Formats: sequence, C-alpha cells, structure tokens
Amino acid sequence: MQINRRFFLHKGALALAGTTVIPQFLIRKVMAETVTSPNKRLVVIFQRGAADGLNIVVPHQERNYYAMRPTIAIPQNQVIDLDGFFGLHPSMSAFKPLYDQGHLAIVHAAGSPDMTRSHFDAQDYMESGTPGVKGTDDGWLNRALQAEDLHRRCAGTCEHTAFRALALSADVPLTLAGKVPAIALSNVNSFTVAGPKPSPAAAAFQAMYGESGDQILHATGDETFDAVKMLRAANPAQYKPSAEYPNTAFGNNMKQIAQLLKANLGVEAAFTDINGWDTHQNQGGINGQLAARLSDFSSSIAAFWRDMGDQAENVTVVTMSEFGRTARENGTAGTDHGHANAMFVLGADVKGGKVHGKWPGLEPEQLNQGRDLALTTDYRQVLSEVVTHTLGASNLNVVFPNAQLQPNNFLKLVV
Amino acid sequence: MHSLYRLTSALLSLSLCCAALPEYALAAAPSGDRTTLQATDKAPLTPDQRILQALNRFTFSPRPGDLEAVRAMGLDHWFQQQLHPNRIDNSALEVRLAEFPAMRLSTQELVARLPDGPIVRQIANGKAAIPPGDSIEHQIYANQVERVQFRREEQKQKQQEAAAQTAATSMMAAPSAEQPQITPTFIQSTLAQPPGQRLQTLASMPQPQFDAFLKALRGRQREDLLDGMSPEMKETVGALESPQKVVVDELLSTRLTRDIYSEAQLQEVMTDFWLNHFNIYLRKDEEMPYDLVSYERDTIRPNALGKFEDLLEAVAHSPAMLLYLDNWTSIGPDSDSAEKAALRAMRRGNLHPDPQSINENYGRELMELHTVGVNAGYTQDDVIQASRILTGWTIDKPQDGGSFQFDDNRHEPGPEKVMGKKFKAGGEKQGEQFLHFLATRPATARFLSRELAIRFVSDNPPQSLIDRMTKSYLKSGGDISKVLETLYRSPEFWSPQSYRAKIKTPLEYVVSAARASNADITNMQPLIYTLDRMGMPLYGCIPPTGYKWEADDWVSTGALVDRMNFALALAGNHLNGITTAWTAQPETPTEATPTTEEARLEAQLVAGGVSETTRSAVLEQFTAQTRQPYQPERNTMGERMRTGGKSVIAIPTVFRPQPNHLPPPRPIEKQDQLLAGLLLGSPEFQRR
Repeated sequence: MQINRRFFLHKGALALAGTTVIPQFLIRKVMAETVTSPNKRLVVIFQRGAADGLNIVVPHQERNYYAMRPTIAIPQNQVIDLDGFFGLHPSMSAFKPLYDQGHLAIVHAAGSPDMTRSHFDAQDYMESGTPGVKGTDDGWLNRALQAEDLHRRCAGTCEHTAFRALALSADVPLTLAGKVPAIALSNVNSFTVAGPKPSPAAAAFQAMYGESGDQILHATGDETFDAVKMLRAANPAQYKPSAEYPNTAFGNNMKQIAQLLKANLGVEAAFTDINGWDTHQNQGGINGQLAARLSDFSSSIAAFWRDMGDQAENVTVVTMSEFGRTARENGTAGTDHGHANAMFVLGADVKGGKVHGKWPGLEPEQLNQGRDLALTTDYRQVLSEVVTHTLGASNLNVVFPNAQLQPNNFLKLVV
Repeated sequence: MHSLYRLTSALLSLSLCCAALPEYALAAAPSGDRTTLQATDKAPLTPDQRILQALNRFTFSPRPGDLEAVRAMGLDHWFQQQLHPNRIDNSALEVRLAEFPAMRLSTQELVARLPDGPIVRQIANGKAAIPPGDSIEHQIYANQVERVQFRREEQKQKQQEAAAQTAATSMMAAPSAEQPQITPTFIQSTLAQPPGQRLQTLASMPQPQFDAFLKALRGRQREDLLDGMSPEMKETVGALESPQKVVVDELLSTRLTRDIYSEAQLQEVMTDFWLNHFNIYLRKDEEMPYDLVSYERDTIRPNALGKFEDLLEAVAHSPAMLLYLDNWTSIGPDSDSAEKAALRAMRRGNLHPDPQSINENYGRELMELHTVGVNAGYTQDDVIQASRILTGWTIDKPQDGGSFQFDDNRHEPGPEKVMGKKFKAGGEKQGEQFLHFLATRPATARFLSRELAIRFVSDNPPQSLIDRMTKSYLKSGGDISKVLETLYRSPEFWSPQSYRAKIKTPLEYVVSAARASNADITNMQPLIYTLDRMGMPLYGCIPPTGYKWEADDWVSTGALVDRMNFALALAGNHLNGITTAWTAQPETPTEATPTTEEARLEAQLVAGGVSETTRSAVLEQFTAQTRQPYQPERNTMGERMRTGGKSVIAIPTVFRPQPNHLPPPRPIEKQDQLLAGLLLGSPEFQRR
C-alpha cells in the first residue's frame, strides 16, 4: 500500500537515520531508494538587480553599441569572441571552455514580456512565472515539480525526500514557493539543532513543532527536522570539493549545492541567487563593478561544473535576471532599468557553443521604447524546454498558466 | 498565500500518515488549544490580553514586568505616552549610549575623527596631508595610511614575483616586511599601565608594531587592554586599528541598544519601520556608514512619529539617500552644467562628448516605494520627468561628510508634468512642490496605511482598517501619530484573529528574546551576527525595497534551525558578552520541580503562555535530560562568522566580545537554561 510505504520513506526511514542503531548500509540503501526521480537535476540562478546583458554577452559588431556606450562599452579587441558577432565580457573567461565544449548555451534578447521597470514587480513576475499577473503566490519551479508528479501519474503519492526542492538562501524564494515543500538553508554545516549529535533539546523542539497546532510553524517544523536528520546521515562535513570556488557568498552557495547534489539527498531542483547587478553608477567597462561581479558569477558556475565531475551529465543550470538595462549609458557612467537580457543554459545535453534567439539589433528604431534591447524570446519559452527535459514536466500549462507555450516553438536548446 | 498551501499539504500529510502515528500525536493534532488563541478562538481579548497585544505590536515585545506596569498605568495612558517619546524618561538608555561617543558627532566631525577610506587614500597618494591634531589623533591617520601603503607594496611584490616566475628568472628571496618582536614582558608591562598611559603607549607604536601587539594578545589580555578606559579612549584604540570599522560597529550596536533598552519603544519600532521603508544599504559605498549615522539620528528618528511630509522631505535632503539612489550625480540634459561640459568637449575636438543625463533611480523609487506605490498609474515618462525635477539635488563634498546642496547648474530648467500635474520651473522649490504633491496623494495614504497595517496587525489586514487609516492620514495632513491612533482605536486591531497573528521577523525575534530574558549585554556583536546569519542584517538589504514584513519571507527550515540554536545559545550563556540568569536568587527553594520552574519561566518569557503541547514537550525532554546529560556545543554562535562573501559587518578585533567567565552552572541553573532555551525557541515565542 502506497500510504505506509510513503510514510516509511518520508518519516520512518529518516527518523531511523538519525539514530546509531541502524547499520550504515541500510541507511545508504534507504537513501538510494528515496531518490526516485530520473536523476536529472535543475539548478536555477537568479541575478537580482537587473544584470546588464549587453555588457555580458557583447554584440561587438553593432556599431550603435559603441555609440550608445562611450565610456562603458567593451572594446572589440577585449571581448572573448564567441561567433564573430557576440563576445563574452573579458572577466568571464571561465565560461569560454564550457562554451567551446558545447555545454554552455546563451539565449540573447530574452526575458519577461512585461514592461515594468520595477525590480520588485519584475522579480515577482519572473519568479512566479506569470508576468503581468499580481498576487500569484507560488513559483514556476514549484509548479514544475508538481507537473513532474502529474507526468509520472503519481501526484500526491510520489516519494520524495525533504531535499527535493532546495534553496541556498535564508528564505524560500518565490520561485520555489508553493504546494511542494521546499527547504531553505544558508549554511550546510550549521544546519543542525543543538549541536551535530541528536540531543534532548533537539527532540523537544521536534516534539513541540511536530505536534504544534500552529499551522505555519508546524509544517515548516516537520520539513526542518526531516531535513536536519537526512543531512546528518549524509555527513556533509566529510565533503571535499574537487574544484576551487571563489570565496564569495555566491561561490559558497554553488559549492554547497554541489555538495548536496553529490550527497544523494534527492535534490531535484536547487535555487540560489547573486546580488549586486543594479549598476546605475560607475558600472565600469573591462574592469570595475560589473566586471568583478561577472568574474564571481562565471568562475563560481564553472567551478560548480568541474566539481560535479561525472555527475555533471545529469545537471542543467539556467540563469536569469528580472530585466536588462538601458542600451545607452546614463549620465553617471552606469545604466538604468531596461528590458531584454541574456540567459545562460549549461548542461551536458544542452546544445551549447551557440548564441540562440533572434537578435533584434541596436539601431534606434530597433530598440524597445527607443531605449532598451528589444525582447525576442520569452524567458518562459527557455524554461519550458529546460523543465520538460530535466523534470519531465510536460504539462506546461501547469508550470506557466496562460502562456500558451508549445514544444514545437522550442529553441531546441536541449538535445 | 503560501501558508494556505502549507496548511493543505500539512493536513494532507497528516491524514495520510495517521495509520502510523502514535496516539498522543493524534490527540495533539491541530485542534487548537486553550492558550494559543489562533483564528479558531473567537472569544474577545481579556484586559491582560489587550495589554499584551499592545505591547507585542507597539514595542519590540514585553520585558518581564511590562504587563504589570501598563496594568497599573492604564493602557490608554501608556499608549499616549508612547506617542510622545519626549515625555518618557529614557536616562537608563542614555547611560548605555554613552558607550558610543562617535554617534553624537556630525558627519563632518565623524569623518574627521574616524577618517574614511577615500581620505586615507588621498593622504597616501600625497594629495592631502594629515589634518592638524594631537599626537593620538595624528596616529589614527598615520596607522591607516601606513596600512594602505603596506598593502600596495604587497600587491606590487606579488605582481613582480608573478612576472619573475613567468620569465623563469632566478627567484630572489622576497623581502618580507619585518615582523616587530613583541615580548611577553612588553605586553605585561603595557597592560599594567594606568588607562591613560596605556593609550599613549598604544598610540606611540608605529603601525606594524601596533598590529603585531594586538595579534600577540592572548585570552584575558584582550579584556585587560581596554580595562578601565573611558568610552572615548576605547573608541580611540578601535580607531588605531580601523576607524571605518569603529563607525560600523557603533552604528549597528547603538541601533540594537535602542531597540532593546529604549523606554520610548514605539519611537524605535517606528524608526525601524521607516528605516526599512526608506531602505539604505550600508555597503553601497565607503561613505555610507558615515552618512547613516546622521540618517538614523537626524533624518528618521525625529520624524518617525510626526508628519510624513516632513519625513519625506528630510529623506530627500539626506546625503545617505542621495548617495544610495544615485540622485547626487544626476544632471539635467539641458542644464548649464551639461552644456558647459559639451562645450568643453567640443573645444577639445570631441564632437560626441559623454552624455550628460539624468539618473532615474531615485525618481522611480520615490514614487514606487516611498510614496504612491507601483499601482498608482504613473508611466515611464512620469519617472523621467520626476527625475528631471530632482536634478541638482546633490551633496556638497560627499567624501568629507558634506551635506545637502541644491546645485542650480545641474538642475534641468523648465516646467515638468508628473501624473497629470504641472510643476512650474523653480529650482529647488519645484522639487519641494513635487514632494508635497506626492505626500498628499490618496494613493500615498493608502500605500502607507496598508504597510503600517501589515506591520502592526496582520499579514492580510482587513480592508476596512486600511480604509479608516487612509482617511485618518488624509484628514490629519499625513500625521503618522494620528494614523497610529486610528489603528489603536480600531476593532480590527483588538480582534482575537489579530492576537499573536504575526510571526516575528529575525530582528523582532532576536530583540524580543533579549528583552524577555532580561539579558545583560555588554557586547552586541553576537546579536548583530545572528541577524546576518538569519538573512536580516541591519542596514544589509541591498535592493531599495527593504525587508518584507510578512511571515512567508521568514518562516523556513533554515530560519527555524537558526532560531532554535540562538535560543539555546542565549539561554545557556554561550554568546560572548551576553549573560542571562534564570534561577531565582537567593537559592531556589528546594521544592522547585521542573514543573514549577517551567511555569515560572514560561510566565517570564512567553507573554500569554505556551500551548499544552509545547509545555509537555518541554517537560518530557526535561525529565529525559536527567537521564542523558545536556551538553551544548561551546560557543556555537558567538564566534562563528558568516563564511565567505562580503559581510555587512566588520568590527575592530579589539571590540570582539570575550568569552563569558562564569562559574560552571549548578544543576538547577543548567536545567533552567535548557528550559528557557526551549521556551525561547518554541512556536509560541516566534509569534507576537
């Protein structure tokens, strides 16, 4: 019967995992069994603050790009050329090998079709997956996990671990919020209650949250103690990364995602974010603010890829930012809130080594509202293809309601 | 809402699991019990519950004795007093604040006493001299300049080494900086000096020796270093190490000191509210910590309970906001300044000079986040015109702690139109009229009323309440106190559904735990770092939106783990520099049992009590504890730093809290610590 088995997996085995009387091999077996998804994992990265896509994937053959950005443009001889037309910002050299190996794809002029220039609204729209619709209180990635269960015809009965949906952040971001329980943690090593070993204090907290009549705290409390026990059994302290990450908040988050993926905890979707893209002032050209951010961004992701080693073949990474920035630089050597942007998709099955999407051009009449890169690819189109491939979330109407996304319109990013 | 989903999934999993659940768990399932008073309980609040409701919302939660004090004074009288903070005796707080002398200085004085990075680099570059002052003041600058030069030298050496390696030339032994020898005798003799002489000795050391001296201190020597010194002297020692870090340390420490100890609690609650509404990020640039001192003290706090328009005006004129949202650099495209720049460029033969134009950042957030809200119906063109109106609002000498300046040369001439309203040309006046226009919009009244209702009542406040507050705002000319009074007089505020309806944010949680436990706090660092780890560092929100007030953002697995660990660490005296005492003095009567101790501590810590479920979970494990001794990790919280990334917080090592030297707790004290820790980490204590 499904119910008892589910309970054993969700509650029983994990409860046992925390004690010492269970032989290690049994714990490993239980762990192996709880990982039920087809081993494809999705890592989602949000660049908060609106990254300047035009200085990240530079259209170095566009005359007007240089005319509009007299002080911050990346000179032609400085870009890392990709295809004779586009080039990466010089501080992103870590991405070049991934591109050359065909693992890294770029979609340019992509983003949310909504015209808002508010960080707040645009992040909400992008994370909820319903541009223009306010008040959606769950995220596209959570719904993608629901769609996965629908696809496997086991909605409500599928076996999943507490780590299925994971955010490396202090709170659960809107992207991951919703019916599917998601956990948030900011530091793997301190994710333990009252010390690394089981203790009376931890047991007391578990009892008071587990049996609390406080509905919000009860539910989160249950998820918390499940996750704490699983993590303890997996013993993250023994982990040694096999790549060197930048010692930054983002680098640390990527390292911990790799650590948790490799620990076979049943992670299917992981989320993290990187701040500091709102470069209104002195954003810099080949050096400076944006350059430093891009170096952190690209080397952390590249380190993650190396660290995953053989297991990288089951991982897909996708990045996004709420909107792009103005095509023209502003009066303070920075850029203001714009529209379309560049997205990165990284994976073994990704059709990389290519800049996908239709390029709208940068001549004055080609700009959105005369000021920003126009949008030619709805970001949901990109994500649809990715979630279909990784999670098997085939019912796209669940993931992106009313978006009318059709598989035959896919950019064929994934092979 | 997410919580609804959570509820359904929780119920679902409960119903699925029943078959295997032990009986006691079923009995304790969400039937709602007597003391928790969530939405299931419709009984009107008792007089004491009304006092607790007011204390939970208008203060950073009750301290032991607050309930009785308000009962004696009368709730209405207490609230009126809170609305008029100048009528409240706050002398005990003033004593604590005297520990932070730099926080009384003007921005200019502050920058002069504790020089910031740009000033130090100017001196290091030979473009400025160390300003005149006594020998100690001189040494604060000299140490910083030397450190900059040392780092540059180091950098250069590294590059040369790298170049030498690639050129495969013979490696020379890198000339390393001489490590000054600090002997134990020298340390002992220095520490034995009287405070004034000790400070002189420290200030007479050249920078490398000073740094080596600090490094060589061990254990209690770190405490002895500052022993007997006045606050000013301690501050000077910190400045000899790093003036910038002293500013950050005092800024964050005073804010928590006020939140925990101020008697004018509503003023601090509202200061926190407005600091979040008009959010500013500490690390926007190097001057920001300096500007934030005045921002909190002169811009926000004095206006926190006054007219919103005054507050908005003060914020618009504050160097901190002009810096944070870039308006200080915004230049009108047709302004004198832009035209002159174009002419100059053309004379130099540059036919395509740098564009001189506006920066929209402040103009946009002023409307979206500070006043009318994003749904008020304005367009991108309105944002541009608003930004033009505000051109010329800039800062005079920002690096020297300069103040607001209206620069007509940068101001875009001519009339502008925003949201259908015309603003005549008129320099700074045009901007002031625009701010007046925004402050008096019904959209602003609604936007602020809703935010206040979410902070003070519930995550989904009733529309009837928001409407009443909106009306009050418009009728009173945007008087914040009047809006709060309306809230106080509204039945929605006192409804059983509102009682304990709010989940504490990390700041509210940490401050309330410190208040409830009557902790003796000699150092705020552990609390500051706890907030950082919980995702809510003070002045650490990067985007202008500020933190959210709703539970969704703060209830998560990681957050609960952090809260439980913090509760245990606080109660067990494992936070350096913070001590709590749980056992009644003198000697607890021998008849004290876990049950009576729990009852006593529950009454002290959890206003309104805990549920039977929580109580029995505490007591059950408490008796189990006698079988298996409780051995908490030592100092799990106090010393742990956020790993990696640029933390908001940086403090001089001389101000790091030292371990608490306490005698080992007696068995009863140990039990009480665990009891208190469990109560502070309980579900009930997460609510207010």
